[in-house]
Amino acid sequence: MPVWLREHSWRQTLTAVFLSLPLRGARATPANIFCSEQYLKVSIPPFLFEAILYAPIDDTNSTAKIGNGNIFFTLYKKEPAMWDSLTLANADKEKLQYLRENAVLKAHEKAKEETEAKKITKQEHKKYALEATMKLEEAERKRIEDLKEKERQKVAKELELWKNQQKDGDKYKSIPIKGELHQEIEPLKERKSEKMKKTQIPNEGTSKTRLKSTKGCHGSCSIFSQNLKEEQLPSPRAAATIKVNFTPRVFPTALRESRVAEEEEWLHKQAEARRIINSDLSELEDLKEEEKNPDWLKDKGNKMFAMGDYLGAVNAYNLAVRLNNKLPLLYLNRAACHLKLRNLHKAIEDSSKALELLTPPVPDNENARVKAHVRRGTAFCQLELYTEGLQDYEAALKIDPRNTNIKKDAEKIRHLIQGTMQSS
Amino acid sequence: MSAAVGAERPQVVSHVQQALSYTVFDCKWVPRSARLLCLGSAARGTGLIQLYELHGARLELLREIEKPKPIKCGTFGATSLQQRYLATGDFDGNLNIWNLEAPEIPVYSVKGHKEIINSIDGVGGLGIGEGAPEIVTGSRDGTVKVWDPRQNDTPVANMEPVQGESKRDCWTVAFGNAYNQEERVVCAGYDNGDIKLFDLKTMSLRWETNIKNGVCSVEFDRKDINMNKLVATSLEGKFHVFDMRTQHPTKGFASVSEKAQKSTIWQVRHLPQNRDIFMTSGGSGSLHLWKYEYPAQRSKKDSEGSEMGVAGSLSLLQNVTLSTQPISSLDWSPDKKGLCVCGAFDQTVRVLIVTKLNKI
Repeated sequence: MPVWLREHSWRQTLTAVFLSLPLRGARATPANIFCSEQYLKVSIPPFLFEAILYAPIDDTNSTAKIGNGNIFFTLYKKEPAMWDSLTLANADKEKLQYLRENAVLKAHEKAKEETEAKKITKQEHKKYALEATMKLEEAERKRIEDLKEKERQKVAKELELWKNQQKDGDKYKSIPIKGELHQEIEPLKERKSEKMKKTQIPNEGTSKTRLKSTKGCHGSCSIFSQNLKEEQLPSPRAAATIKVNFTPRVFPTALRESRVAEEEEWLHKQAEARRIINSDLSELEDLKEEEKNPDWLKDKGNKMFAMGDYLGAVNAYNLAVRLNNKLPLLYLNRAACHLKLRNLHKAIEDSSKALELLTPPVPDNENARVKAHVRRGTAFCQLELYTEGLQDYEAALKIDPRNTNIKKDAEKIRHLIQGTMQSS
Repeated sequence: MSAAVGAERPQVVSHVQQALSYTVFDCKWVPRSARLLCLGSAARGTGLIQLYELHGARLELLREIEKPKPIKCGTFGATSLQQRYLATGDFDGNLNIWNLEAPEIPVYSVKGHKEIINSIDGVGGLGIGEGAPEIVTGSRDGTVKVWDPRQNDTPVANMEPVQGESKRDCWTVAFGNAYNQEERVVCAGYDNGDIKLFDLKTMSLRWETNIKNGVCSVEFDRKDINMNKLVATSLEGKFHVFDMRTQHPTKGFASVSEKAQKSTIWQVRHLPQNRDIFMTSGGSGSLHLWKYEYPAQRSKKDSEGSEMGVAGSLSLLQNVTLSTQPISSLDWSPDKKGLCVCGAFDQTVRVLIVTKLNKI
C-alpha cells in the first residue's frame, strides 16, 4: 500500500504552474519522476504522489528540481490560461485508470521516438564523419598524383627540348661542313678503304664514306684530328693466357647461401653411405680414418696409376674393394692397372665384374661401360683370343659408335682374324 | 608515402612503356642520340635487334634486324662515336660487331666461346679513356676472353680454367682502371660466387674473392679512371660495394654489403654523370636507387702497418616496383642525366626518367 503524499503546494501564472512537493525524508532521483502531457507521478516506494493535471502541459520543456527534501516542478502550460485547480476534480476511477495508461503509453512512444531520433542523428553524424575523412584522403592522394604528374610533364618537356637540341645541333653541323668536305673526301676515301677490313662494293663504298664523314663531324671538329687519333692507338696486345682456379664446388648449380646447409647435408649423407658398415674387419682398426674411405682410396689409386706406380695402385684398389665391393669404378680402374702390368686374366676378371656392376645399362654409365669393354677386349687380344676381343670391341662400338680409336682397333682385329682363318 | 614524394627525393617516373613480342635480354642507348636498342630472342629461336627512337611519349620502331642465333648482350663501349658499331654476344658463343647501317654482314665476327656468351663489355671507344678499344666476353664455358677488333680470330687475352679443373659459368664481366694506354683491368663474376680481377698489363690475377652467392653483375663506377669502386650484385638479394683504391696484401679490398631485395639482383648500373649513384634492378621487378657515401678516411693502417681500405656507407634514395617479372637489363643514357631504359622479362621495355638527381 503506497503512502500518498498529499502535502503539496502550488501556485500558477498564465503560462506556468509551480508545484512544490515535500518528500518527507525520501530521496528522489529523476527515475522516480514520471511526467506526461496531463499526468504527473512521483513514486518513491513506499511514497506515491500522482496528479491528473487540469490542462495539458508541455512536458518536454517542463523541469523538476530535486533538492532540500523537496521536488520543485516548473510546468509550462500548453495553453496559457488560469487553472481552477491543479488537478481535475471530477475524476472517477476509470478515467484515472484510462488517463494513467494513456500517459504511460504516450511516454513509451515518446521514449521510442527519442531513441529513434537519436539513432538517426548518430548515423548521420557517422556518415558525415566518414565522408569528411574520405574527402581529406582523396585530396591528399590527388595532391600526390598532381605532384607526380607535374614532374612527369616537366621531365617530358625537358626531354623533348633536349632531343630537339640534339636534332638541331646535327642539322646545323651538317649543312656548312658539307661544302668543305668535298675536297677532303678524296684523300680520305683511300685511307678509309685501306682501313676497312671487309671489302665492299665500290659505289657503295663511296656513298658510305661520305655518310660517315658527315656523321663524323658530330663528335669531333675535323676529320683529320680523328685520323691522327687513330694513328695513335697502340697496337693490339700480345696474346696471353691467364690460368684460373675456381673455388671448388661439387654441384653444377650456382652457389646460394640459403642452400648451403642442404647441400652440406646431402654430401655428408653420400659420404656416410660409402663408409664401411661392417666392423668385423678388425685389422682395419689401425688404419687412419681416411684410409677406410673407399673414395679416398680410389683417388689415391688414380694418382698412383697416373704416376706409373701400378702395383701401388692395385693395392689401393684392393683395399677399397674390401671395404665396398659394390663400386664398379674400382674394378674398372684395377683392370686398367692389370692391363699395364700384363696380368691379362685378372684384367678380364675385373672388367667383367665392373660390367656386372654397371647394370642397368643407362646413358649415365655409358663412359664406364665403353672403357670396360675396351679393356676386356684388349686383354683378350693380348691373349690372342681375337674373336672374344672383337666381340667386346663391337659391344663398345655399339655403346659409343663415334669413337674412331675403337673403330680402328676393331678393324685391325677383324683383319687379324681373317688373316688367321685364311692361313689355317 | 609522403616521404617518398618528399620535395628532395629523386622520383622514378615511368615515361614510356613498350610491349615487345620477344624476350628482351639487353637494352642499350645509342650514344649521342635519343635512340635505343633492344636485343633479344624471338620465339622461333632467332635473334632480334630492334632500334627505337623516343618520340614524345612513345617509342617508334626504326629498324628491326633478325639474326640466326638469339642475342644475349651487347655493348657500344669499344666503338668510336662516328662509327657507333654494336658488339653483340649470342647464345652460340659468337662475338659479332655490327654496323647498324649495313647489318647484313658483321664488321667483325668470331666464334669466341663454346657456349653462350653471358656478358660483354667494351672499353676504349666513345671518346672515353685512352688505349686500344677492346671487348671482353664472359661465357658459360668458364672462360673470359678479351678481343681487339683489329685482330681476327684470336683473343688478346684468355682467362681459362686450369687443365682438368671443372669449369664454372662466368656470368658477368666488366672493364676498369683504363686511365692510360697501358693500364687495364677486367673483373669477372662467376656462378659459384667467385669474383676475379685480372690485370691485363701484367697478364696476371690481381685479386680474387668469393661472396658466397652467384655473382650476377659487376661494374666499376667508371671505366676510365684509376679504379675507385666496384659494385658486385648477386643472388639472394645482396650486393657488395668494394673500395678499390687500397688493396691490402691479404685482406684484399674493403667492402660494404647490403641486402635490399629478397630476390636476385640482376643488374647494377652507375649513373654516367655521377659515379656515386647507382641503380640496382631486382628479380621482383623493382629498381632501387642508391648513393654511396665515402668514409671520413678512405684508408687506414692495420696492426702490421700495411694500408687497408675503409668502406663507406650506402643510402637508399628511392625504390619503385615496375613489373612482376625480373628486370634483367638497365642502361643509363650517357647524354641526358636521369634518362634510363630497362628491359624486363615480361617482354616490355620501359624508358624511365629519374628526377632531382641534381640535388643529390
